[in-house]
Amino acid sequence: MLFNSFPFFYLFLPAVAVGYYAVPRLRLRLLLVVLASYYFYAYADWWFPALMAGSTAISYTAGRMLEHAESPNRKKVVLATGIAGVLALLAYYKYTSFVGGYALSFVHVITAQSFPGLHSFVNSIALPIGISFYTFEGISYLVDVYRGDLEVERDPLRYAFFISFFPHLIAGPIVRYGILRPQLERKHHFDPDRVRSGLMLFTLGLAKKVLLADALAGWVDHYLASPGSIGFFEAWACAVGFGFQIYFDFSAYSDMALGLARIFGIELPWNFDRPYRSASPTEFWRRWHVTLSTWLRDYLYISLGGNRKGARRRDANLLVTMGLGGLWHGASFNFVAWGLYHGGLLVGTHHGRRLGVRVPRVVAVALTFTLVVIGWVLFRMRSASDIGGVYAGMLGLHGMGGAPGHLMLYLLVSAAIVWGLPEEWRWPVAAWGSLRVAAVAVLFVVSAASVYTSHPFIYFRF
Amino acid sequence: MRRLVLFLAVVAALLGAMAAFDWWVDPFGDIYKPAALSDALASQPSCLVSQELVGARYLPFKLDVFHRRPTTRFVVGSSRVLKIQSRPGEQSFANLGFPGSSPETILTELRALPAKPVQTVYIGVEAFWFNEHYVVPPYRPGTYDIARYLLSRATFTFAFRFVRQAHFILTDRWRREEIGTSCVIGRISPSIAWKVDGSRVWSWELDPQRFPKFVPAPYTTDLASLRNGYYDQWKTFDANRLRIMREALDLARQRGWKVVGFAPPEPQQFLRVIRADPQLAARWHEFLRTMPRLFAQEGFTWAGLWNGAALGCTASDFPDAFHSDAACSERVRARLDAVSR
Repeated sequence: MLFNSFPFFYLFLPAVAVGYYAVPRLRLRLLLVVLASYYFYAYADWWFPALMAGSTAISYTAGRMLEHAESPNRKKVVLATGIAGVLALLAYYKYTSFVGGYALSFVHVITAQSFPGLHSFVNSIALPIGISFYTFEGISYLVDVYRGDLEVERDPLRYAFFISFFPHLIAGPIVRYGILRPQLERKHHFDPDRVRSGLMLFTLGLAKKVLLADALAGWVDHYLASPGSIGFFEAWACAVGFGFQIYFDFSAYSDMALGLARIFGIELPWNFDRPYRSASPTEFWRRWHVTLSTWLRDYLYISLGGNRKGARRRDANLLVTMGLGGLWHGASFNFVAWGLYHGGLLVGTHHGRRLGVRVPRVVAVALTFTLVVIGWVLFRMRSASDIGGVYAGMLGLHGMGGAPGHLMLYLLVSAAIVWGLPEEWRWPVAAWGSLRVAAVAVLFVVSAASVYTSHPFIYFRF
Repeated sequence: MRRLVLFLAVVAALLGAMAAFDWWVDPFGDIYKPAALSDALASQPSCLVSQELVGARYLPFKLDVFHRRPTTRFVVGSSRVLKIQSRPGEQSFANLGFPGSSPETILTELRALPAKPVQTVYIGVEAFWFNEHYVVPPYRPGTYDIARYLLSRATFTFAFRFVRQAHFILTDRWRREEIGTSCVIGRISPSIAWKVDGSRVWSWELDPQRFPKFVPAPYTTDLASLRNGYYDQWKTFDANRLRIMREALDLARQRGWKVVGFAPPEPQQFLRVIRADPQLAARWHEFLRTMPRLFAQEGFTWAGLWNGAALGCTASDFPDAFHSDAACSERVRARLDAVSR
């Protein structure tokens, strides 16, 4: 079920919210939300909940076993087994097609055998939405328990709530159990101001998605339909347009998730903070998809040694971390290339700092934005020829091309929002007066009426 | 609490207003408007009802047509039976066919009709209904679909444009217009229209000067493009649709109704296409073998009638090389009446 869909906000959400506050006991409320979340997930495909239940059972059981493991070696084995268990599901569903496809092509080149049955099997593996997110949540829980940063969860219902809670289930934010657990231990009484604030944040996200991201998507898709002949102005407008589109799209989802959780009395971590205001790639990753970048930092980069083992090792760790971060987005070389590109930017930033060159912040922001936009081409275009086509266009190799009028208008509006307003979750919606509340209600109706032509969220496919 | 109530109240009020406006204007014709048929019937002689007001809600419209007349004889089937009409002064005949019909729609339609009085039913059966690739267009939108329609921006935008184009819609919803020699209950562009007996009038029949006659698409042997691809990739005779057809006949038999089956007449060009395609020819002959047997098993008659030339219908009797005109359809009606006696 999509957040930006008719059954979600007119049927599912009101029913679950009313049920949640109508049920008197905390455990029954948790159970209600877990059941609703599984139903929400089953809406995408009937067997997805079984997969999530399996992943939940593996990480929950491994957590309990960690509690009982006495020796450090035994703990390591349990941790490794638990992580391998949840990763195996992700690996199978997300990467078999990718690895198997290339392996079969390689075998075909060597032996001239094509194995059509194996090919169709590998291609038939469908990626269950949300699996990348709840896999990472399960891993973070296990590592936190292993490190002693988190007490093990003995209550399977609370743990199931953590993994399945529908606001963050499909596309994050990637929640850590340490943030959620204290909020699940007490019953949240119905607070009209909090519910209103959640509804308003949800509305702002919905509007951002439907009225901005989708409008940009229409024009960007239009111009990128023939990347082999795209002109200079169109190529840059599309690259910038996609930069705005993916930001509005993904941050909208995060705003909606935060707003939805707030309706249930739960605060999720924020995920975006106007990333295009960053003055360096390092700052960009402190503002963009923050729950992923901090996850990669805490559970991958630091585990690889971080910056504790010299500059060369740090550079290598950055490249490995960002490369794997790219691969997490999708089983495709363009995502790996995008991750490595950002890894390279981070390495370059570290080395650039040693030169001691200082530039005005506005120049640094413009330069960072340009570098990020160049990277988005790798993310948006899948094949090497399409990527090459857009880059050639950006270099003017296909001529100047015409100015994309409508897209330019949206770019100006987007720029005004990105650089003129704070991130929506920072807006003090709880304190807003009646006039603004009414205005947001109007915005809800306008956005809700537009969802029929809405595109799926970009991050759904990860 | 006050501001939460304000938020929810504004949302509810706006959604309600939008739904009411969209329902009133109904730019895509997704809401059936029985009052339009009432207005058509109230005129002497009766006016026609514009397609704009019927939209995609053929089923409730046809059921309404049935109930407003002392019907004892009616025809059901696809758009190709829509020129079969009542004779001057004849009140007991109704045309309950509609575009996108299928065994499913016919069963639904028969179930919705009262068992009494006893009816004589002419069922125009299309061969392509038994192509498993034939997709029946939605004919019975549920409450959910209607709610989606009423709360969509596209509906609102078009409704707004409608009202800007024709202000009277805000107060009257539709108006009576004289087109050629007919009066039509319509809106902005009444073209195709429905008689109060349920039969259809083409736009060029209303006013040949205002609306050009169809230019039939050149015949092609490419089944993917011929007649909207209805006959394309027809490999097996759809057993499920056959079962539903049998169920419809069974219902009519239980009610003691008299049923005559027929295949709407085909122009000669189409019969040549069938002959040229062995796979289609095999299915077509299976259809011609199966239908008489099916109707006979339920104690009913199969009248055939698929060969337009044998009925005396020439190529010019098929204005778009697909649908028969009023003259050819009258020959069909006469044969059906004769068989039913």
